Amino acid sequence: MKLFVKIFLWFLAAIALTGFVIFFVTRTFQTQPLVSRIERSTRNQMTIYGGTANQIAASEGDAGVKTFLARLREVEPPREVLLIGQDGSILYAGGPEIKDTGELVARVLASGQTETDFTSEERSLGGAPVNFPDGRRGVLVLQWERGSPPSLFWGSWLAYLRLGGVLLTAILLCWLLALYLTSPIRKLREAAQRLAAGDLQTRVADLVGRRRDELADLAGDFDVMAERIESLVTQQQRLNRDISHELRSPLARLNVALEIAKQKSGPDTQPMLARIEGESTRLNEMISRLLILAKLESGSEEIEPVRIDLTELVRDVAADADFEAQAKGKAVEVSSADRCTVMGSENLLRSAIENVLRNAVRYTAEGTTVDVSLAADNGNAVVRVADHGGGVPEEELENLFRPFYRVGEARDRKTGGIGLGLAIAQRAVKAHKGSITAKNLNGGLLVEIGVGRSEPPA
Amino acid sequence: MDKVLIIDDDEELCELVSEYLTVEGFDIESVNDGESGLKRALSGEYDMAILDVMLPKMNGFDVLRNLREQSKLPVIMLTARGDDMERIVGLEIGADDYLPKPFNPRELAARLRAILRRSALVDNGDPSEKIDVDGVQLSAASRTIVREGEELNLTSVEFGLLHELLKEAGKIVKKEDLSESVLERKLSPYDRSLDMHISNLRKKLGTRADGSERIKTIRSVGYIYTLV
Repeated sequence: MKLFVKIFLWFLAAIALTGFVIFFVTRTFQTQPLVSRIERSTRNQMTIYGGTANQIAASEGDAGVKTFLARLREVEPPREVLLIGQDGSILYAGGPEIKDTGELVARVLASGQTETDFTSEERSLGGAPVNFPDGRRGVLVLQWERGSPPSLFWGSWLAYLRLGGVLLTAILLCWLLALYLTSPIRKLREAAQRLAAGDLQTRVADLVGRRRDELADLAGDFDVMAERIESLVTQQQRLNRDISHELRSPLARLNVALEIAKQKSGPDTQPMLARIEGESTRLNEMISRLLILAKLESGSEEIEPVRIDLTELVRDVAADADFEAQAKGKAVEVSSADRCTVMGSENLLRSAIENVLRNAVRYTAEGTTVDVSLAADNGNAVVRVADHGGGVPEEELENLFRPFYRVGEARDRKTGGIGLGLAIAQRAVKAHKGSITAKNLNGGLLVEIGVGRSEPPA
Repeated sequence: MDKVLIIDDDEELCELVSEYLTVEGFDIESVNDGESGLKRALSGEYDMAILDVMLPKMNGFDVLRNLREQSKLPVIMLTARGDDMERIVGLEIGADDYLPKPFNPRELAARLRAILRRSALVDNGDPSEKIDVDGVQLSAASRTIVREGEELNLTSVEFGLLHELLKEAGKIVKKEDLSESVLERKLSPYDRSLDMHISNLRKKLGTRADGSERIKTIRSVGYIYTLV
């Protein structure tokens, strides 16, 4: 999962959990005292109303009591009023009847004091004795609706609005936090990718802004690293250029001196001079290839992708290789070629295929044919080059693409290779995000190059 | 004797090349930096110049560019081996041929002779030979190409290639034949110099009004000057 999503969800979960805990604790520790407060206040009010009713009964009689009770009903919060006589007869009832009062009335009559009943969730009941001057006894019963304290987040549109607000704030906050934490990481990653792709001037200091935390430190370290890589690569490239120039100057002089020596010397020294020329050519070849390899490995060889007709390229290189092979009593044949176009550098792909092909020509047994094929395989163009050179020990296959790797000392020396062709081919193919593999097949080596195809122009 | 100017900062190499080419029958003079090289090349005393790319004071490309503004002196460029850019740029700004350094001096001598022979044709070519194919006029005597009234600035190799192609316009001319008749050397495998010369020639010739190429490549065989 993305770090952004993770951080976002974790913080959201944390906020939700915190909210839940606070809510729960509040409920437990605040609702209980609230209930007992309600009970106390009910009892007190009941006692006061009972006392008042007694006084009014004494001074003003039944009519006064009724007026008083009627007034009681009108006071907020809404309540129901009932006056029950000793015998159970209803002396006054304002509004709807109050149910299940028997037990409370019995308790009041028995104790002669104010009694309350909180057994029901919806109502609080209070009862107080009332004594009339004529000796009748009654019980004043009051009923309050006991609404639970209004829910903060549930039940009314205001509560929903509140809930929505809280949720929205939480989500927004978490989102901002996650963004704050992950955006520099994302920028670092992009920068690292650019650096890896060869843009050595990539720096991130400006990207992280005014932060002064570990991420800013990381960005700083990244820049130090990028700086160092850039200077190393630049030095390497300069070194390559210098080597190219400095090593070749003496070689150029050597070549000319050798030719003068040939002009002036007798026939008996000619073979040795020819030998020197051969070695000089080989040295020169090796330097060029090393430079190509170094260029490819440093990634400094920029590829400007152009559309390449791979079919023609393969036929072209194969024709050249065949020309070379015929001179050695071997041959190169294109057995099949699908139409394929790819995007890339023609020079690099040509050199990759050429190196693989010339390698095959070098090792294939005299009188045999190197088989070349090009197949359109799903999204890939696959070039297969198979020789008849006896193959390579299975455990050495993957080493073939290492520079200067020799499968058996004698083999390569004799055939005149310098051990860089396949290494160059591999780097060139990799620069095209392609693949190159080698395996043994029918007593020979099969090298497969796969490069992503592009659609031919309509 | 043909006078050849070598512009290269490697004095020892210049000495050796002078010695070798003198035996081969050339009259050699050498300078070791770009500025004086350009001055000498413009003096008009030489039949041909060998020009290195890496030079102090003024690099080989700048020397060539300045030289081409005033002179058609044949030039062989010595480029770093394996550096395609140098070759392409060199040919584009008007080098007649290039030779990767380190070079084989026999090859150098052979190319010098080939180029000199071609430029000698200017003087003793068949003055009557004129070719006119779809708006492109070739005059062998003045070694000029005029395309739709505009004279093109071609190197001697490019002129030679176009000459061969126009002579056989509408027919395929084999790479091997072009290499032997124009570059005066056998076509060797993996040698892309003919392709490069043709590619430069194409750029200079331009396409036809309908966008089609005048010179078409027949892969692995040769080239054809197409007729409409």
